[in-house]
Amino acid sequence: MKKWRLCLGAAVLAAACLTGCQQKDPEPGEVAGYDEGEEYLSIWVHSIEDTEEGQAYRESVESFNEAFDGQYFADIEFVPRNDSGGGYSDKVNASVMAGGLPDVLTVDGPNISAYAANGIIQPLADLTEEEEGAYLPSIIEQGTVNDDLYALGVMESSVGFYYNKDIIEEAGIEIPDADHPWTWSEFLDILEDLKPLMDKKDGYPLDMTFPVGETSIYYYAPFVWSGGGELVSDDGLEVDGYFNSETTAAAMDYFRTIVENGYMSEAPIDHLFESGRAAFKFDGAWEVNTVYTSYPDLNLGVAPYVVSDDWDGGTYTPTGSWAFAASSETEDIGAATELVKWMSGVDSGIRIWEMTKNFPSTYEAFENIDVFQTDENYNALYEQLTNYGHPRPKTPVYPQVSTSFQEVLESVALGGKDAQTELDKQVERIDQKLERYVRE
Amino acid sequence: MKKKNSIMGMAFFGPALVLLTIFLFLPMVLTLVFSFTDYFALNPELTHFVGLENYLNIFKDELFVQSFLNTVKFVIIIVPCQCIGALVLALAINKAAHCKKYFKVAFFVPVVMSLAVVSTLWMQIYSPEGILNTLLANFGIDAQPFIHNASQALPSIAVMSVWQGVGYQMIIFLGGLQNINPALYEAAEMDHASSWQQFKDITLPELKPLCVFVFITVTIGAFRMLVQPMVMTGGGPDHSTYTIVYDIYETGTVNWEMGLASTMAIVFTVFVVILTIIQNVLTKDKEGKKHGIKKAKAN
Repeated sequence: MKKWRLCLGAAVLAAACLTGCQQKDPEPGEVAGYDEGEEYLSIWVHSIEDTEEGQAYRESVESFNEAFDGQYFADIEFVPRNDSGGGYSDKVNASVMAGGLPDVLTVDGPNISAYAANGIIQPLADLTEEEEGAYLPSIIEQGTVNDDLYALGVMESSVGFYYNKDIIEEAGIEIPDADHPWTWSEFLDILEDLKPLMDKKDGYPLDMTFPVGETSIYYYAPFVWSGGGELVSDDGLEVDGYFNSETTAAAMDYFRTIVENGYMSEAPIDHLFESGRAAFKFDGAWEVNTVYTSYPDLNLGVAPYVVSDDWDGGTYTPTGSWAFAASSETEDIGAATELVKWMSGVDSGIRIWEMTKNFPSTYEAFENIDVFQTDENYNALYEQLTNYGHPRPKTPVYPQVSTSFQEVLESVALGGKDAQTELDKQVERIDQKLERYVRE
Repeated sequence: MKKKNSIMGMAFFGPALVLLTIFLFLPMVLTLVFSFTDYFALNPELTHFVGLENYLNIFKDELFVQSFLNTVKFVIIIVPCQCIGALVLALAINKAAHCKKYFKVAFFVPVVMSLAVVSTLWMQIYSPEGILNTLLANFGIDAQPFIHNASQALPSIAVMSVWQGVGYQMIIFLGGLQNINPALYEAAEMDHASSWQQFKDITLPELKPLCVFVFITVTIGAFRMLVQPMVMTGGGPDHSTYTIVYDIYETGTVNWEMGLASTMAIVFTVFVVILTIIQNVLTKDKEGKKHGIKKAKAN
């Protein structure tokens, strides 16, 4: 009997040690730099400390502590995240259940709605008009859910529609200016003109793939937006009539046409564009840096993103990145908002650009980085972001919307299935996930 | 003395029990409990008991059914290929006169490599302009899409998995072969038994308990297929390589639907357990029953 008590005691002790990892705020003096009279603020970031990004966050936190010496003390914790999104989100999920969320945490742009809808993050304290106006509109739009501002990003991202200047010149094609992009029909003609030339080069007019994961919706949802379509309703709780609208179906059929006519390779070919065997490519803004450093012989240009024939001049290009938000567990939203503003502010933005080559999120940061004024490609991406940036769908079931978009794209463009049927099928799937929010 | 022994015993047994309870038994019980709820990772407070609703829903879910069938297809390809392949390799190495160690290491290396690394390597091999297509081109065969085509992706990944895992079972068989009493073969030779007869009447019966062990472990391993499709195809094209474990992962981690994911995990576990029992019953004869388990355990 006694040994079972011993055993039980040991089990409880170990369980308490292992599960009792819930953090308690340290006392002043316990953490280097945290002094008496300062308010303690914990912050989690989704990065490894030893990376450039991690160092940038570390420096931003240190500068915050210097600037608010005697008032606030921010303590940063690095929570690595794996490629499929685990790790960091697992820790957040566990803390949602067990308690112990920090005051401020990073949230991926498309997840802001879900975190807000489930009460994991809370609206930031009011920002002045001037403070809000410092950020690119896409950052404010991304962080806003039901008219409340929840998150501010330090970095913004975009996708470029790149072209090989030498090939375009050889084919005698003229690139339009940013406000007069090629329409779908015009672009099909261009691809048709380029096909014989690219066949000769053992390549394709377009280097494009529809990979599983976030990439597909991020790169190709603009085709829906430029036609005036949306993937979800304004409140994010309805998809029928949006996700399966005629505009979405038309965009999917457009991709099918590109594949059918052999303007792109059905199976992805590595470095097709970089090796000079493709005239165009859609890729993240990081591609500019990749080409400059690894393919200096490639004559790179950025063309405006292709638009639907029905484009009315509205916003449509890809945006979005990780952002800082205040958790629902923070007791002093004013202090947490200060930290969020600092971490996403001008200096932090310049730092993130210098260390990671991710775009900053404020006008002033862009103005202070020479390359955005002097390099035509970076400038084109910046202009595209500020003038035409459109956030990804804001809905608490975003992961399903993203997966569904990719699946339809793949089955229609590559599999040749009927777009409308596939979209309708996915609407049912998304609706199932939405039930939880509609019901409550 | 007895008391002292029991305290000593507890001291050794205790830590393992505690850790197993926290990291194995408790999660298992919780998974079972969650499977009857609509537990949502982002908002656990709103969890409701839903009875058998999840169980009914997953069988109506086309994607779950497809992932289930895909997994079965993987098992059907991988299990025979890997078991027979391992046996053939073990026999060959056992007979080899030279470079035994070299071959052993060569076949075993993929086993110690990370699955993610192996998968990335094979993505290059299978790529449209990769080694395999270049080889095929030499024989005048058109380039194949392999993992980029819905009908070829699953077999392509299965072949890669066999290549990756076969070395482990080969070592087990090799150990078994070297344990067979040479006197049996000597006696057979004196009776002028052919090589085939020796294999059929000595090698196979002696290896039978090991075969059962290998068969079951390979089957369970194949059912747990996740990393290869995750890295190489993301479950595509058109869900052709989407497996049950992948579906459980996506449902629980990406879509935060822990209740539903738990139900899938329970259904999956029950299925594998039933299959293992059936395999055990089918592969056991009366004689094998006695020393079969002993040997399998010893290995």
